[in-house]
Amino acid sequence: MNLKQFLKLKKISHADFAKNLNISPISLSRYIGGQRLPEKNILLKINDLTDGLVTPNDFYLFNEQELKLDSNKKKEIKNLANKIKLGNRKYLGKAITIIESSLKEDQIAAQFLLNEFRNNDNSIRIGITGVPGVGKSTFIESLGLKLIEKGLRVAVLAIDPSSKKSGGSILGDKTRMEKLSVNPDAFIRPSPSDGHLGGVAKKTSESILCLEESNFDIIFVETMGVGQAETAVYDMVDIFLLLLLPSGGDELQGIKKGIIELADLIIVNKADNDLKKQAEITQREYKNAISIKNNSSNKKIIDVLTCSSLELIGFDRIWQYIYKFIDERKKNQKFFANRQLQLSKWMWNNINLRTEEYIKKDLKDKTFVKKIQNDVENNSLTIVDASNIIFKYISKK
Amino acid sequence: MSKDFEKKEWVDLASKELKDKKLENHFWDTPEGIKVKPLYTADDLKVIKHKIGLPGLPPFTRGPRATMYSNRPWTIRQYAGFSTAEESNKFYKEGLKNGVMGLSVAFDLATHRGYDSDHPRVVADVGNAGVAIDSIEDMNKLFDGIPLDKMSVSMTMNGAVIPILACFIASGLEQGCPLEKLTGTIQNDILKEFMVRNTFIFPPKPSMRIVADIIEYTSKKMPKFNSISISGYHMQEAGANQVQELAYTLADGEEYIKIALDRGLNIDDFAPRLSFFWSIGMNFFMEIAKMRAARYMWSEIVSKFKPKNNKSLALRTHCQTSGVSLMEQDAYNNIVRTTIEAMAAVMGGTQSLHTNSFDEALALPTKFSARIARNTQLILAEETGICNVVDPLAGSYYLESLTSSMIEEAKKLINEIDEVGGMVKAIELGIPKMRIEESAAKRQAKVDSQEETIVGVNKYKPTEEQEINILSIDNEEVRKKQLDSLKKVKESRNHDDVVKFLEKIKDAAKDESKNLLEICVEAAKKRCTVGEMTEAMEGVFGRHVLSTKTISGVYGKTVNNSEKINSINHHIDNFINEKGRRPRMLVVKMGQDGHDRGAKLIATAFSDLGFDVDVGPLFQTPEEAALQAIENDVHFVGVSTLAAGHKTLVPLLINSLKKHDASYIKVICGGVIPPQDYDFLHELGVSKVFGPGTNIQEAAIEIINLL
Repeated sequence: MNLKQFLKLKKISHADFAKNLNISPISLSRYIGGQRLPEKNILLKINDLTDGLVTPNDFYLFNEQELKLDSNKKKEIKNLANKIKLGNRKYLGKAITIIESSLKEDQIAAQFLLNEFRNNDNSIRIGITGVPGVGKSTFIESLGLKLIEKGLRVAVLAIDPSSKKSGGSILGDKTRMEKLSVNPDAFIRPSPSDGHLGGVAKKTSESILCLEESNFDIIFVETMGVGQAETAVYDMVDIFLLLLLPSGGDELQGIKKGIIELADLIIVNKADNDLKKQAEITQREYKNAISIKNNSSNKKIIDVLTCSSLELIGFDRIWQYIYKFIDERKKNQKFFANRQLQLSKWMWNNINLRTEEYIKKDLKDKTFVKKIQNDVENNSLTIVDASNIIFKYISKK
Repeated sequence: MSKDFEKKEWVDLASKELKDKKLENHFWDTPEGIKVKPLYTADDLKVIKHKIGLPGLPPFTRGPRATMYSNRPWTIRQYAGFSTAEESNKFYKEGLKNGVMGLSVAFDLATHRGYDSDHPRVVADVGNAGVAIDSIEDMNKLFDGIPLDKMSVSMTMNGAVIPILACFIASGLEQGCPLEKLTGTIQNDILKEFMVRNTFIFPPKPSMRIVADIIEYTSKKMPKFNSISISGYHMQEAGANQVQELAYTLADGEEYIKIALDRGLNIDDFAPRLSFFWSIGMNFFMEIAKMRAARYMWSEIVSKFKPKNNKSLALRTHCQTSGVSLMEQDAYNNIVRTTIEAMAAVMGGTQSLHTNSFDEALALPTKFSARIARNTQLILAEETGICNVVDPLAGSYYLESLTSSMIEEAKKLINEIDEVGGMVKAIELGIPKMRIEESAAKRQAKVDSQEETIVGVNKYKPTEEQEINILSIDNEEVRKKQLDSLKKVKESRNHDDVVKFLEKIKDAAKDESKNLLEICVEAAKKRCTVGEMTEAMEGVFGRHVLSTKTISGVYGKTVNNSEKINSINHHIDNFINEKGRRPRMLVVKMGQDGHDRGAKLIATAFSDLGFDVDVGPLFQTPEEAALQAIENDVHFVGVSTLAAGHKTLVPLLINSLKKHDASYIKVICGGVIPPQDYDFLHELGVSKVFGPGTNIQEAAIEIINLL
């Protein structure tokens, strides 16, 4: 954590902190702004005063990044933040691109951009999961249009799987959200998963903040639904919906069972035409299964509803449920506690991502690593020994 | 060694000739999954499962009529529609003077989708790819001086089938032609629209009711009129292989029989008036086998419904040479392709035939190219002697064996359809569509990696470019004319009548015991327009929205290990290092043109090559497409166009991008675009134009290099 973040977090004024450090407020602002590096003893003092949260390293890292973002670029990003605040769709689109970009320069810009944003607890973040073909997009189209009728602004982040082989993807969600995609009160952005597990893209959390800054009331996050680990989305939303097909529990084979435990609401979709009966049976089965759970532990109580995206039936009840759920959780503060908890999960997620990137971008190219890899392949080094050597190298760094 | 090659001497001899190559490797695996051997013998005839029989008799494998062409050759029927009714009328009269025996009407896209020419969504579609018909007045102009009691008229109409057929019938009546004398065919095959062609209007259920209304009406009142043309054509155009085309078309046919029976009609009242429509591509023997297999299987299918009249069992068909086999590059080769395809259609025993003009990969045919197309048929019919003998290929070891294999493979596909509960259900689940798109992607990959040869395109490319004169249509002019005459119609008619009859249509739409066609014929007489009648029904039925599914992986799997792929990967890696993400492209289909084979193919191939590909909904307006490109922040917009809409739609798209200050997004066009228009598009700001037969891998590299 850098010093600026620390002071903001702890709500300590710059003047007070300067006094504690026994330096002038001007010097402090230079340290914070990165124009000058603190002396060694000041660095250690800051480390102590912040209980180790702001380490000397933070100043070096901070400096390195800060230097790369020149004042023009800063102005540009500030301008971008303003445009987003005003609801400009083009710049919103651009911002998400910057956030998702793998360029170092863009990543720094993205950090800077996110720092410009206010905290927004007025939005509702809704996660939608379910196997491919369950009708997630069509469900969002129907519910989204209904919410727009009520005067709300709706954004959708749809995640589509990237091919493992080619890395490419097909982002076809808008073809299934035909009316919503042309509605001026809606914004839909499909993103490729880009090899990220968890059903979401690497930067979905950041994109959510962008949409909230643009004053969208409802943010849908549609997972890719391939079922491996759809759980990551749970850690970034306020309410998590699981969509099922009216066909008994068979499809759960494909999706991790644990996901049922995470769901805040289960919805049996496609309760239309000849499937209506089947949907009701499925609803009953799940209700029974869940009531056992609801009783057995003091965990949250979840419900099972049905709907037909085709005939537009069931959406009033679903919205009522979501609204009440959020309302109650806001009253008992759980809503805010959850969002705070999610921040730390997000942090760990970021750490994992950066580690992964470091391994991919830097570590694998190092000559000594390549040599070790060679040794492993030739059986002249065991995997455990090789891992130990490399891990030691990382931890020393 | 398989026991098929018992004749050891031949095997030894053949092996000697093959030298170090192995006989077993000389099997040809067709795209349909059939193993074709290098040699067929009398033994192969012993194991075929179908009955060959005699022409004119069940199971009609050898043809629906006893004398076939030895009495009268097939009907030369050239499909055409030229923007306005007057222009088309001129073209028909010209053809009739020169040996054409039946008319075939192509409608413009606005008409197909049930919009009048003045509807805001069809600005770029009026007069494109066919004639614009807004009311009976246009129909009267279309057939001016053409007696409908003598001329058989085929109409390719599926979406707005009720209003168009109503205008046709009413126009005939106003000419003084009684209903029972009207001859011809209405395509009326809505199932394949949901499967591949996408020119539907209403959801499947009311659409099927409309089909039944038409069968009912024509079987009672128009005994010489074919109520449906069950079409495999568009499936093959969309990339289906021959077995898929065969199986899905027959399955569609069975579905139509069922809804007509549900109406309380007798099988013999309508089955003889069901006709078929095949596409004939370059796979010569396979196409002939397909037509024979179809006749045998159809008689088997209809038998289940216990007809008393043998005619109910006979499959009659129209054929058209394949449009996708036409290439933009080295376009004169298309004359040769069409000739070979026409010959296959004739050897297969078609009842009528359309031969494509060689320039149709570029634009609508000119007078010159239409003449050559027509003459191709006249030469076959009158110079070759093919007509003198009925079904000359019957009994061929290879052909009969192939026919038998096709029957077997097609039955497997039909079983799959039956298992999910019939064709309507299968279409809802997207099964046939998915299978067809797989085939299309596989084929494209084979062509791109030269596993399949297309002369002048992926091999033996011409060194010089040839200039080909093509027909160009001023869409804006056509639309103006059309708006004028529409205005006149609306001013001169009795307004109260119109309101009354549109109400009646709504009531009939709600009441299944009423026949929509019957009421619309009356409404057409009162000058209700095609758009108004459609809107009245839409008020009750709703407009169908397609849920698009896109396959992935098939193209990539088929082109595996090619050097070019490595080069593309390299380009893409460089792109990512420079731009921070993969090249991202939005593939759009604007206007009312529903042929999305090209767009789908591009989407799946590019994603398999490592692009992130956004797909736009069908029937987008240029403004909608521009907004999607901007919100999704893509690098490129790829416009797929087949129906001449590029001249109006692309400028609108570019303007929209400009208006939103997003000209940094590069626009690329692909599809049927006349070379004469390339400069026009480039001047507008289009970065690249790709024609049919473009190698997708090369195109991908060119696109990446744009940035």
